[in-house]
Amino acid sequence: MLSDSERQDLRRRIKDAASRQDAGAAVKFGRELLASGKPADVMFCASAFGGIADALKSQMGTRRLKMYVVRSVTVEPILPFLATEAVLSNYALDLQVGGYGSYVDEMLNPQSALAKFEPDAVLVLLDLEEIAGRLPELCADGIGAGVEEEIEECLARMAQLLRSFRSGNSARILLQGLVVPDQTSLGDVGDANLPHSLANAVLQLNQRLAALCRTVSDCVFFDVDRLAARYGRAQWRDARMFLASRLPVSADSFRTYSRGLVRSFSTLFRAPCKVLCTDLDNTLWGGVLGEDGPEGIATGSAFPGNCYLDYQKYLKQLSSRGILLAIVSKNNEADVRDAFQIRAADLALSLDNFVATKISWNEKSDSIRELAKELSLGLDSFVFVDDNPVECEAIRQQFPEVAVIEAPVEEPWKLVEVLAEQPFFDAAIVTDDDVNRLNEYKAQAQRAVLANSAGNRDEFLASLGIVCTFQSALQAPLSRAVQLLAKTNQFNLTTRRHSAAEVEEFTSAAGGQAVVVRVRDRFGDAGVVGLALARNQGDSCYIDSLLLSCRVIGRGIETALLAYLGEHALRNGARQLVGEFIPTKKNAPCASFYSDHGFVKRVSSEEVPSDSIFYELDLTASAPASPKWITLEGNESNELSASAVFSS
Amino acid sequence: MNSQQVPSSLRDILADILEISPEQVTPDLSIGMVESWDSFRHLQAILAIEGEYGVQFDPQRIPELTSVSLLQTELEKKGATL
Repeated sequence: MLSDSERQDLRRRIKDAASRQDAGAAVKFGRELLASGKPADVMFCASAFGGIADALKSQMGTRRLKMYVVRSVTVEPILPFLATEAVLSNYALDLQVGGYGSYVDEMLNPQSALAKFEPDAVLVLLDLEEIAGRLPELCADGIGAGVEEEIEECLARMAQLLRSFRSGNSARILLQGLVVPDQTSLGDVGDANLPHSLANAVLQLNQRLAALCRTVSDCVFFDVDRLAARYGRAQWRDARMFLASRLPVSADSFRTYSRGLVRSFSTLFRAPCKVLCTDLDNTLWGGVLGEDGPEGIATGSAFPGNCYLDYQKYLKQLSSRGILLAIVSKNNEADVRDAFQIRAADLALSLDNFVATKISWNEKSDSIRELAKELSLGLDSFVFVDDNPVECEAIRQQFPEVAVIEAPVEEPWKLVEVLAEQPFFDAAIVTDDDVNRLNEYKAQAQRAVLANSAGNRDEFLASLGIVCTFQSALQAPLSRAVQLLAKTNQFNLTTRRHSAAEVEEFTSAAGGQAVVVRVRDRFGDAGVVGLALARNQGDSCYIDSLLLSCRVIGRGIETALLAYLGEHALRNGARQLVGEFIPTKKNAPCASFYSDHGFVKRVSSEEVPSDSIFYELDLTASAPASPKWITLEGNESNELSASAVFSS
Repeated sequence: MNSQQVPSSLRDILADILEISPEQVTPDLSIGMVESWDSFRHLQAILAIEGEYGVQFDPQRIPELTSVSLLQTELEKKGATL
């Protein structure tokens, strides 16, 4: 708990930071002050953050989001909490709230306040009464005739609402689930045992709503009941305030609720981190290997080794959905290999589970820099776990982009909890490409070895046996296409973060192209790694987006993708290909992409000023050709299905 | 009347919630006198005051607590240490 003088002190610091437009300091002290949970402090921070919106954006890359809240309950007192928690997660929210219960008109009427607001996301916060108001009555006897029908009806209504909304609006959607009612006339025993108790019906409804969200593009389900259960249903709601003011959450839960909301909608806007770097001593296992020896370190089924075993199991689970694990440890490499061998039975992980190991006496910051280079990943994809506060601080200072977690060395049973509290690895969608990622990155390391031994570049590339398969982005599946748009930074010509609905528009327009490329070679299947969106306008084909996962850059795949676009543009009646480049902090690797391929920079006309640089290529004279070392498959979208090509 | 007549803890909460300076929080300040004090801010102020002093107001009284002095009197009635 913060004392009043500490609070005053923090307020002074926040005020100072805000007045000199120092966003980093304002957020740092704001984070400390907000821990008080006091509404007055939250309002204070909301005001202070509101005054440094530009500094947040320019200094911390804070993303501005327009959010529209449709609701059947009172949310206004919660909004300052939502706004401040969002800033702590690096979002600046521009919030607008709709009328009570007028959500159907707001979501479906193209002239509504929501439509005019043009939100990036819509938060759908409806309560049981609004979504399935008849359920409490139907469930009263617990055996409930008509409960199933009511659930079906309610789902059909929600499906209709979300799908109709989606067909006219590409804003991302967060649909909040229902809190399972805590006290019903059936009592705890009846609620638990009777098939159609209200508790069971609402649980079922929540599951069905989550399933519905999976079928709507750019839509995430927010399981508010899980939060209510975790922090205690008895405290979650204040009946007095709900009945008097329709406030769905007690004032004590505003902060938890807002954090949950932010964490859920974040998955719609931000890609998860990709690499977890773990320390070994007192982190992956207990004790210090160099002093205690392989037999002396704590790991295995007995306490306290099982604390570390739990952590290892957690990492292994992360790894199975594509999070790459790496060891960053100051140790003797031979000792570590021995330990993994001798204690294999007591460890949930083997060295094979790690994409890379940096075991040396070098600075850990150097190791992380090397890893980023070897894996071709940005530092903002990294999470660093270490028990040593000095190492943690060094990384924080040198690489502010890296997420740092300090392992609780005195309380190893909290390791998993500390990690799970963080949103870094949150993902609402997992694709086959995620699952396959470890093998892919290992293959990349093998390629690097071969590259060093192969004589010249063309020979090396030919020896890889690269096969490119082109597919419609809709079959990729679409979720993978959107994932690529969301997270590709380096080789991304325009960095437009299109939603699924926007990608679909490219496929439906005449002369439009939305194509993805799958790549495999003799070392493995990289999956869907590239995407291009283009549309014809007059006799020109405009390339709206073209991107490639950084792990396959430099093998001619980008050229093959361009050649594919050109070929289809010609076939659709275009005579000219127009490329667009929008420079960002990260996409320098593709700055000369169009000029390298014979495009001529367009002399800027007096059009609207923009960051875009346009390039033109006469397709009739010099259409781009795919490199000879690449084998092409599936030129026609339906010629080959992905499963037929990649049944292995 | 001036803001010195309002206990400082109450004054600071109201200043934060209503986004006004503490000097503006005088005992006779009431709903409608500052633009920011609307019904939602009122609810927010009530929740903040309840949390700060560990009291609960009767929902029927809440809409009647329309000025700083009325809030202060109600708090004193509830036995809060201001």
